[in-house]
Amino acid sequence: MTQGRKEADKGREIAFRTGRILAGLFVLAIWISASTTGMLPGPAEVLAYLLSMKLEDIVPQVLKTLYNSITGFSLSFLASMVLGLLSHKLSLVKGFSEALSEIFNSTSALVWSLVLVATLGVLSPLPPILVVAAVTLPHVLTATVSALSSADPGLLEAVRSVGAKPSDEFFEVILPSSVPLLASASRVGLGTALRISVVAEAFGSSGGVGYMIIRSYNLADASGVLAWSIVLIALVLGLDQLVLKPLERRAKRWLE
Amino acid sequence: MARVMLDVSSVYKSFSEPVLVDISLHLNGGEVLGVVGPNGCGKTTLLRIMAGLEFPDRGSVRREGKVGIVFQEDRLLPWKTLWENVALGLKYHGMRGEELTKRIREYSSMVGLTDSDLSLHPRKASGGTRRKAALVRALVLEPEILLLDEPFTGLDVKARASLREALKWIWDEYGLSTVIVSHQLEELLPLADRVYVLTPKPARVAEEIDLRGMDLERRLERVKEALLHILSRAGSD
Ligand SMILES: Nc1ncnc2c1ncn2[C@@H]1O[C@H](COP(=O)(O)OP(=O)(O)OP(=O)(O)O)[C@@H](O)[C@H]1O
Ligand SMILES: [Mg+2]
Repeated sequence: MTQGRKEADKGREIAFRTGRILAGLFVLAIWISASTTGMLPGPAEVLAYLLSMKLEDIVPQVLKTLYNSITGFSLSFLASMVLGLLSHKLSLVKGFSEALSEIFNSTSALVWSLVLVATLGVLSPLPPILVVAAVTLPHVLTATVSALSSADPGLLEAVRSVGAKPSDEFFEVILPSSVPLLASASRVGLGTALRISVVAEAFGSSGGVGYMIIRSYNLADASGVLAWSIVLIALVLGLDQLVLKPLERRAKRWLE
Repeated sequence: MARVMLDVSSVYKSFSEPVLVDISLHLNGGEVLGVVGPNGCGKTTLLRIMAGLEFPDRGSVRREGKVGIVFQEDRLLPWKTLWENVALGLKYHGMRGEELTKRIREYSSMVGLTDSDLSLHPRKASGGTRRKAALVRALVLEPEILLLDEPFTGLDVKARASLREALKWIWDEYGLSTVIVSHQLEELLPLADRVYVLTPKPARVAEEIDLRGMDLERRLERVKEALLHILSRAGSD
C-alpha cells in the first residue's frame, strides 16, 4: 500500500521534471523555427556571439541592472513599510495607500519611463530606479499591509499579558510574524524589478542590460539583442532559483 | 476567613450572542479553584475577563494582586527560544543581566526545566516542556493570582504527572491563589479545593461545590453528577 503510493509519488515526480524539461525544449523549438525565416539568428549563432563577449563587458552591465532593480525595490519596500505601518493606525493613510496603489497599478512601465526620462534627462541614473520603485509599489504595498496584519492575535495577547507596550508588540510580534509574507512578496517584487528595470534602461543612456539590448537593436545587431536578452533571462532565473527561492523557503519555516 | 483575591460580580459578556450571563464567583487567598463546564461554554472568555485581557459588558471584576495567565495554546513566540520567551515579561519590566538569569533559573528549576530545555525553540521542545515554559513565563513575574486555561490538554500521561508535581511545588512554596479551567476532571479534581460548574453556552454558574474533605472518588462522583444534571436540563430545553 505505502509501497504503491511511494511508486506513484515517484512517477509523478519524474513526469513533473519531464514537463519542466519539455518547456525548455518547447521555447528552443519556437526559436529555431522562427530563425528559419532568416529574420532572427538561431541558437548556434547567438551562442557563438555570447562566447565571444568579454566578461568585463557583461559584468558591469549586469551589476548596473542589479543595482537599479535592488535600489528601486528597496525604495518601494521602505515606502510600503512606512505606509503599511501608518495604515494600521490612520484611516487617512489607509485610504491614501489604497488609492495610490490603484493609480500606480494602472500606470504602465512605459509611461513611467517616458515621463521620468523626459523629466530627468537621458543621462540621469535615476529613471530606472524610480520606475522600478513605482511599478513594484502596488504589489509590495498590498502585501505589506496584509503581512503586517497577519500576526496571531493569541500571540499578541500573550505578550500583552506579560506587559508588552505597543512598540514591543510591533517589533517582537507583528514584524517577525510578517517575515514569511514579506519574503514571498520580495521574491515576486525583485523578479518584477529586474524585468522592469531593463525597460527603463532602454530609454536612457546610463547603461544596464536594457540599454545594451536597445543599443544592439539600434545597430541592427540581432545576435546582440538576443545574446543580451539571454543574459537578462539567466539573471532573472538565477537570482530567483539560487537566491530568492531558498530565502523564501527559509522564511516560511520561521513561524513553525 | 481568607481574603478574597479575585471577585467576579454579575459579569455579563456577549460577542455576537451571549457567552457569559450573570457570573459571580470568587477566589480566596491560597486556594485552588476549579472551573468546569461543557466545551465552548465560555470558560476561556471568563478567564480572559479575570485577567483583564477582555472587559465585561456588565458587572465587575476586582483583583487583589497581580495576575499571571497560562493560555490553552502555549502561545510562545516560535522565532524565540523558550528562554527568550520566558524572559520577555521581565525585559518589559526593565530587568536585565544577573538578576534576570537568577529569576528565570529559580522558577524554571521549580517546574523541572533545565537551561538546556530552555535553549530550545518551541517547535523542537516537547508539549510538556512548552507548557511548563508558558507557566514559567507567567511565574517569573511573581503574580499573586495564577490563571490556568486547560493546563493538561494535549499532554501525555507522563507530562501531565510532571506538570501536576510542578504545580504542587509552586502551591507549597508560594501558596499562590489559582484558578484552573479544565474539562479533565481526573486531573483537576485531585488538585482543586472548590469548583464552579458552568452551564452550556451561555455560561451561568450552575453550582458551587466545596471539595475539601472528600476523597477523589467522591469528588469525581459529585462533579459528574452536577454536569449530568445541567446537561440533561439543557437537553430538555
Ligand atoms: N473574541 C471573540 N469574538 C467573538 N466570539 C468569541 C470570542 N471569543 C470567544 N468567542 C465565542 O464565545 C464562545 C465561548 O468561547 P470560549 O473560548 O470562551 O469557550 P471555552 O469554554 O473556553 O471553549 P473550549 O472548551 O473550546 O475551550 C464561543 O462560541 C466562541 O466562538
Ligand atoms: Mg477554552
